[in-house]
Amino acid sequence: MRHHMSSPIDLLEPPLEEAGLGWSCGVILIASLFLLCANGVSLRDWIDDQPPGPIQARAAELADQWVDFTEAMGIGLPRKALHAQWKHAEQARFPGQADGEGAEASPE
Amino acid sequence: MLFPTLSFGLFFLLVFCIVWAASGSNEWRKILLLLASWVFYGAWDWRFVALLIASALLNWSAAAMIWLERDGRAGRRKAIMIMGVFGNLVILGFFKYYGFFVEQLGDLLRDVGFARDLPLIQVVLPVGISFFTFQGMSYLADVHAGRLVPARLLDVTLLMSFFPHLVAGPIVRGSDLLPQFQQSPRLTRDMASIGLVLILWGLFKKAVVASELSTGLVDPVFFDPAAHSRLDLVAAAYGYAVQIYCDFSAYSDMAIGIAALLGYRFPLNFNQPYRAASLQDFWRRWHISLSSWLRDYLYISALGGNRQGFARQCVNLLATMLLGGLWHGAKWTFVIWGGLHGGVLAVERIWDRIRPDWMPRLPRILGILITFHIVLVGWLFFRAETFDAAIAYLKGIGTAGAASAVLTPLACVLILFGLAIHFTPVDLGQRLALRLRLLPAWALGLLVGVTVLIVDTMRFEGVAPFIYYQF
Repeated sequence: MRHHMSSPIDLLEPPLEEAGLGWSCGVILIASLFLLCANGVSLRDWIDDQPPGPIQARAAELADQWVDFTEAMGIGLPRKALHAQWKHAEQARFPGQADGEGAEASPE
Repeated sequence: MLFPTLSFGLFFLLVFCIVWAASGSNEWRKILLLLASWVFYGAWDWRFVALLIASALLNWSAAAMIWLERDGRAGRRKAIMIMGVFGNLVILGFFKYYGFFVEQLGDLLRDVGFARDLPLIQVVLPVGISFFTFQGMSYLADVHAGRLVPARLLDVTLLMSFFPHLVAGPIVRGSDLLPQFQQSPRLTRDMASIGLVLILWGLFKKAVVASELSTGLVDPVFFDPAAHSRLDLVAAAYGYAVQIYCDFSAYSDMAIGIAALLGYRFPLNFNQPYRAASLQDFWRRWHISLSSWLRDYLYISALGGNRQGFARQCVNLLATMLLGGLWHGAKWTFVIWGGLHGGVLAVERIWDRIRPDWMPRLPRILGILITFHIVLVGWLFFRAETFDAAIAYLKGIGTAGAASAVLTPLACVLILFGLAIHFTPVDLGQRLALRLRLLPAWALGLLVGVTVLIVDTMRFEGVAPFIYYQF
């Protein structure tokens, strides 16, 4: 029985010599900060779903304030616009088909 | 804790930081990964962490005993291996098949006039049990065959518990992962960039394509096929083929990507399966870690493969696929699905043998179309709750009206997209990763953030569990 493991991790060119840990940490940090700013709604919703308690209540309060702040600054607008476009695509119907508008309201 | 959720994202961020901070000591690194894996598994049910540990202990001790007998009698080594495999099968059999077999036995006894009250108990199915027991069995078989030296308890336990593959594969063999545990891994830009590509691609396939098709089209139609038109039934059948691919391959992609960010290399599990031109080709592209496992350990090692004549080879193929079907769950529909695949695989072999030389082979495009539609019919049995429901669905396609109620333009686009991605270059992800690895961290970070944001705006509210979690 001959077994050779091929993996999608193997790239087709020689690996870069420089270490990647610091670079990867930078990528993840920037992505996380970007999402914290532009997608605060998801964090707020996640906190709202956690088991209730004093810490959760405080975190929810902070998350609400953060979402209000990002929306006031306009940072959360791209998310809102994209989500509205997607909902519009979801509700589109073929000509003659029952209208999908209102079939499923967006929670936002 | 599902991969495409914020809970898992935060868990992974914490694990990533702790594990790489502890990389000075490979032992501590592995201990931390093991603890993280248990936390991950315990998020479903803490009691099953004990099962995971017991299973690892069983396989570690059986492998150690096989090794102790390496200069002794071959029969004794084989007996230990068989006992170890039997132990794994007992665990799998109890949790996964007990209720099914007792129910069948009860029906059988009633049919022959010996109706009895059998001890029918509700057994909770531990998530991922089929994956980690198969991993344990292949570890024992590899040690028995001398392909692998027994590993330390920590390594065997981590092999079976490692959270990226724990609940839905890929089935990573000991011979692939244990050598990687020997030394502290190094995270390269290559691994990180392809890891991120796979995670984001998996996130999109699961959260957008599979979830949208599931909730908007497939689930409503399969729930009540009689209430839907022919067009809906046909569309939902195609939709399910795309959904199950985007769902399961998404899990694999994300698992491979997550493991890569932790410095480990997992095997390829999907390779554009719907561009297969035969069923044999399909099984080289679909759930590769399971199909190669079944080929190596069941079809060849246990059943003898093609070593005992052509007729026996066809029977072995059928038996392998029937058991492969049963692996997915204790339901007759899975057995029928496996039987259909095994039967067609056997027919392909027979046709290869009896096809006259003057007769040309099928054009590739025709082979792809025929293979895809055989797979599609198989999925109907796979998805249906009962055999009768699957037959009613097929009959409905022939009889129901043509006006559609649930097929939307978006569902059509997603189905076409899910099929079209099978005909893109095979190494598209790798090519993209080669470009991304050259970007500065801030640029790639922003790109990753924007991509996650876009996926998050498109995802259906909430995330349904992956289809393969139930297996």
